[in-house]
Amino acid sequence: MNAVEVARKLKEEFGAAVRATDSPSPDRLFIDVERAVLRPVSNRIAALGGRYIVSIGYDEIARNGTLGLVHTFAFDADHWAAAVRTSAPASDPLFDSITPDIPNAGWSEREYMDLLGMKFVGHPKPKRLILADDWPEGVHPLRKEVPYNLVPPAAEDVAYRLDEAPEGTAVIPIGPFHSSLHEPEHFAVYVDGETIKGCDYRGFMTHRGIEKLCQTQVSYNEVPFVAERICGICGSVHATTYAQAVEAAAGIRISRRAEYIRTVILEIERLHSHLLWLGVAGHLIGFDTVFMQAWRVRERIMWLSERITGNRKTYGMVVIGGVRRDITPEIAKEIEEVLAGVEKETLVLKKSIIGDTSIHRRTKGVGVISKEESVRWSLVGPVARARGIDIDVRRDHPYAAYDDMTFDVPVVTSEDVWGTLVVRVLEIFEAIKILRQALRNMPSDGPLLAEVGEALPPLRHAFSLVEAPRGEAAHYVITGEENRPERWRVRAPSYPNLQAVPLMLLGDQFADFPIILGSIDPCFSCTDRVAVIDARTGRRRVLGRQELENISRRGKG
Amino acid sequence: MWLTSKIKQILMVLKPGVVTLKYPFEPRPVAKDFRGQPAWDHHKCVGCGGCAAHCPARTILVRDICQELRIMIYDGARCAYCGRCADVCPEDAIVMTEQFELATGDRDDITVTMELFMLTCQRCGRCYNMETTNMIDKMELKGFRYDHLEMRAVIPKATERFDAKVLEATERYERPRT
Ligand code: SF4
Ligand code: SF4
Repeated sequence: MNAVEVARKLKEEFGAAVRATDSPSPDRLFIDVERAVLRPVSNRIAALGGRYIVSIGYDEIARNGTLGLVHTFAFDADHWAAAVRTSAPASDPLFDSITPDIPNAGWSEREYMDLLGMKFVGHPKPKRLILADDWPEGVHPLRKEVPYNLVPPAAEDVAYRLDEAPEGTAVIPIGPFHSSLHEPEHFAVYVDGETIKGCDYRGFMTHRGIEKLCQTQVSYNEVPFVAERICGICGSVHATTYAQAVEAAAGIRISRRAEYIRTVILEIERLHSHLLWLGVAGHLIGFDTVFMQAWRVRERIMWLSERITGNRKTYGMVVIGGVRRDITPEIAKEIEEVLAGVEKETLVLKKSIIGDTSIHRRTKGVGVISKEESVRWSLVGPVARARGIDIDVRRDHPYAAYDDMTFDVPVVTSEDVWGTLVVRVLEIFEAIKILRQALRNMPSDGPLLAEVGEALPPLRHAFSLVEAPRGEAAHYVITGEENRPERWRVRAPSYPNLQAVPLMLLGDQFADFPIILGSIDPCFSCTDRVAVIDARTGRRRVLGRQELENISRRGKG
Repeated sequence: MWLTSKIKQILMVLKPGVVTLKYPFEPRPVAKDFRGQPAWDHHKCVGCGGCAAHCPARTILVRDICQELRIMIYDGARCAYCGRCADVCPEDAIVMTEQFELATGDRDDITVTMELFMLTCQRCGRCYNMETTNMIDKMELKGFRYDHLEMRAVIPKATERFDAKVLEATERYERPRT
């Protein structure tokens, strides 16, 4: 169903409660609704096939005394996306929660309870999500009146209250430094013997307020460099997503050549990310040969990136209006050479993985979540494609030069960790395919940077989607008056995927915890410690990383 | 089963062999156009402050310590090596060097301070009014930060990491209004 039809349908069904619809481009539809119908309209859009992306909250108190809220939805098969906007007076910031129907909205709504002081009626778990446990009540840092560098005094004796453990289970807290993530994150896993019965999660301990910083301190063209540092692995994804959102809002058209260069950079990033994941996954289940070899192959890509962009990571290639460095014919030739080598060596790697029975045993039937559940939880990326959901932003919402590329989107239906592994390995070859096409078809002229006018028009809304190696990244930008975005919302692919981890863990063995979590491809860490508490005796034992890995490696085998 | 898997693994690693580099015992040259530590050429710099205005890490400080002396401090500890400063410099006074071995226990090792003598107007005896009439200031966009001379009030917060003595000397200084 296309944007026009959906707009018409909503107007018919909800009458004047749908205040206005606006379609700045054929692939975007903004729907302004009364606060009272936010939930039914969102549900209707979901029922029509909209896949929930993320919610955005913003402060408009200075302008008209309200707090704004946006829910975004993607219609993947029809190549467009919708944003449902509403607002509430700051004195009465009540909204109907959509989480009971769309579980993935849970975090977004909790985020705005913390950051903007919104209240959501009917939210199933209105706990603190982002702010530290000792952050004072009633201070909402994303409100404009709060300075960006506010540091309230720390308080003792406040701790996050974990969910009640189900009857007859013991609690195993994992964290606050996580066993397989870079970021400190705290899971409490409820186990009965070795079997996982449930899980509570407390994260966001490294919440750095990047959005606030960029809304108040730096200017438009510095944000890409900050955005790039959101993720150490898929940095250019965030820079590109942000730049595209601003370009869409301001109506900047970048040259075709710049779009091709962006495509090349994004695919090189995917290559390195997937090889990195493959290595770490091998390491987690005790297959260190895969780890060493995958990282050896990856190293050539890192050197290549250094050659193209001036750095192994944080490429710094993308700015608003285009890219900073050119891909000259010599560099293109070097890329081709590296690709040939990487392709050959990845084939060897693939053969040894696909046929390895110990990998099969450790990943097949592990971390299972059905296709229906995955759709309900709005999973993205290889995690979704391993559950038979055929979505890929590159094909469904083409950006950069992907509309010129022909490639397959690998989808498997095994619904487990094995599936994510297969999808990622196959995507490596697709990425190589895309890179070759991009290098071959790249237009030889066109400016790297488009002419960007003096001031970008303020208060325009736009959002953009990019397929990161781990799934869809989404950025929402409201342009501002101070030569910087008024609101910039970042949603990394792990945001939806992590929310479904408790579901994936359900009924699995504790030893599979690292690889299940690893299968959604968050970043892995070397600083993890695990505390095991036996609920009955209260005895406490702290497991180091080595021990956790050993448990994990013994696994089922 | 286990054995065949091991044999396969051995075959897999035999071909590439040892790939570990001898670094740091042997130097590892960086790629062409590498973005290492930025270096300033004080002969070329005109003290426009463009680099400070566009540094995403906000790690370049511009201060007029007196009427004719402009101080620029680059604090490498916060540098993200993005190369933005080199991009925007209208005089090409900044190059991104190949220097990447920058770990140090002493912050001064990676801090660069430049003193620039600014021109004085022959008629009124004051510095050129850099804020409003300088050509390069037209590059300046709204959203210029602590280094904006009109915005002194926010300087201490944003620059507390800079040398306390330098900050103190500059704080007492009142710039004449035109
Ligand atoms: S390289 Fe980037 S972070 Fe470093 S001083 Fe220059 S602009 Fe600032
Ligand atoms: S941008 Fe160049 S000329 Fe201007 S202050 Fe910086 S180094 Fe000097």
